[in-house]
Amino acid sequence: MNPRALAAWSISGITISLASGNPVYRVLVLLCALNVLVALRRPDVSLRGMGIALVVAALIAITVTTLASHTGAHAFLALPSGIPVLGGPLTIEAVLFGASTGVGIAAAVLAAAPLSLVLMPNSLVDALPSGLARTGAAIGTALNLIPGIARSATEIRDAQRMRGWRPRRVREWPDLAVPVVLTALEGSITLAEAMEARGYGAGPRTHYADVVWGRADVAVCVVAPAAAIAFVALRVAGVIGDWYPFPDVSLPPVSVAGVACCLALAIPALVWRR
Amino acid sequence: MNAMPVASLTGFRYRYPFGTEDALDVADLRIDEGLTVVRGGSGSGKSSLLRVFNGLVPHFHGGTVGGRAVVRGHDVITTATRVLAGEVGFVFQDPELQSVYPTVERDVAFGLENIAMPPPAMGARVGEALERTGIAHLRGRAVASLSGGERQRLALAGVLAMRPRVLVLDEPLSQLDEEGARSVVAILGALATNGTAVVVAEHRLDQLGLLDARTLTVKGGRIVDAAALQLSRVARMASPSVARGAQSTIAWRLSGVSSGPTRTPILEGIDLEGRAGEIVALVGPNGGGKTTLLRTIAGLLAPLSGQVLREPGRVAFLPQNPMALLHRATVSAEVAWTVRGDPPSGDAAMLIAELGLTHLAARDPRDLSTGERQRAAIAAVLAGEPTIAVLDEPTRGMDDAARDALCRAVLRMRAAGTSIVIATHDKNLVAALADRTIAVGAGAALALAPVAVA
Repeated sequence: MNPRALAAWSISGITISLASGNPVYRVLVLLCALNVLVALRRPDVSLRGMGIALVVAALIAITVTTLASHTGAHAFLALPSGIPVLGGPLTIEAVLFGASTGVGIAAAVLAAAPLSLVLMPNSLVDALPSGLARTGAAIGTALNLIPGIARSATEIRDAQRMRGWRPRRVREWPDLAVPVVLTALEGSITLAEAMEARGYGAGPRTHYADVVWGRADVAVCVVAPAAAIAFVALRVAGVIGDWYPFPDVSLPPVSVAGVACCLALAIPALVWRR
Repeated sequence: MNAMPVASLTGFRYRYPFGTEDALDVADLRIDEGLTVVRGGSGSGKSSLLRVFNGLVPHFHGGTVGGRAVVRGHDVITTATRVLAGEVGFVFQDPELQSVYPTVERDVAFGLENIAMPPPAMGARVGEALERTGIAHLRGRAVASLSGGERQRLALAGVLAMRPRVLVLDEPLSQLDEEGARSVVAILGALATNGTAVVVAEHRLDQLGLLDARTLTVKGGRIVDAAALQLSRVARMASPSVARGAQSTIAWRLSGVSSGPTRTPILEGIDLEGRAGEIVALVGPNGGGKTTLLRTIAGLLAPLSGQVLREPGRVAFLPQNPMALLHRATVSAEVAWTVRGDPPSGDAAMLIAELGLTHLAARDPRDLSTGERQRAAIAAVLAGEPTIAVLDEPTRGMDDAARDALCRAVLRMRAAGTSIVIATHDKNLVAALADRTIAVGAGAALALAPVAVA
């Protein structure tokens, strides 16, 4: 599976999910992205954490929109008008708009997720054009430091606890935060020293994992961007309709062309195998 | 001996930025093909000297430099480290901080990518380096899942893949088990025999004593002696054990314990106990579970099954990385923080003196050398008369004098009734201190034959 092709697919998915507020298309993008993740994710990856985070994000979007937007024809509850910001009628239109926003966020996140959950770490960095190779390696290395910082935070916390550290007030947390930051800085410097000693920056680089293009990669790289371009064009031309529930809720308009563009995003799950 | 040395330093002086005196002052030094062992106490300037050979001193660290240093015909002062990297390989002291990529084979290939080796040729080079360092079976593994010893061999593989003509190693055996250390020594011996200049700073000289080598002794940044390599003396420190033959109280006990950092146990069905005034040494291969066992005894890791009992009182824990402990402005403040007394007095002050830290007490622990940091961390955890002391690789980066000081401090604590557990690869330390030795590996912990007291 070519990382560049997957990146093209992700960008296409994000484009479609953000190009229209129509929840039908957003749900279709979400389902296609979920299908890709389930079919192609790395064996060591669990989707549970991300799933929970997305549900929470969607619920927050619904709650905030419902409590803050007081327009719409169908009120189901009224909060006292004396309450700042929140006071006023709560409407079905606001709930649905919040749900559509939440689905849009989830679809965009799921479209980007395969870059980290399907590809091996650093695959995307390896796939950068040669002109960006040094920058890419530096970014990859910086990303590689993050788990190390998390491990050292645990190690430092354990070591301090064994010396009797029992934080009861906020001002005692620097006993953990200061060594974590200092250790991370020192680790970064040592790593930079090690990279320099292994010739980093000496000249043009090559990549151990050379990026190879297969037919399936080409298919993904052509079909997904074409679908995104067509969707945006049809949206601008008015063929694909948007959806806005205010002031009175209505069913979202659906066009066959719009649905086809969204379903074209399922192509990775059809042509790639893990 | 060739007419042209592989490396030479003439009237070379170097001072770190903000330094008040020269870190290096080398009148004349010549390095030829073969093995050169650099000796010296903690903070003597060994690591600074090694860094001259690939130009990290002065290019990476800055500071002021004078004189001349030449490596394989390159003037070090005018040639960037990244250019010298094609000729000089460098293995650093701390293997945890040398990995660039998250997987083993990608990390080994990093240097080859930097010298723009064509991708089809890299696979063979990577495989060769992994085979040579005995970690071919780890090829697809995540670096984060490796033990300290495995990481040390990975760091060596990453450098060997580049086939350097000069190989510089700073404490390459410090985290390796017996077998791993032997295999690395064999690699260094083969490289030295085949014409590579191998320069190594290492305290485990008993391992390197198997090889023909020239020895340089560094003190205060100067070369004070050059001689043939001599084995370090192995001596047991005779001291009356409170535990041996006595019915001292049980300080900790593991009953049917299974343990591991995840839900999959690394150790299973462990039944062990330690007594007050007893020193138990845990030995075994890298990745065998010594650290897991230590953390379980200390209470940092809850057992997956079974029961752990500990006598009431403080448990002192020294992690493998001393930097996890050191964050106060001075060594003295670090020790004072443990005993909640400023300045440290009584036992804590004695410990600082015993570990040879008195002259460093006002220094920032992070400005010290690796061996000095290790001693500062030991002082910080052992202060305050703990009931149980759990030490993970306490002699890492220590010279003989520092190890002797540690032994004296540990023996005094044993005499005071502290139950001490030490995980180590250091045979000399085990011989000097252990009342009982437990072999940890393959999920089990087995008692070895007791050490005879002199």
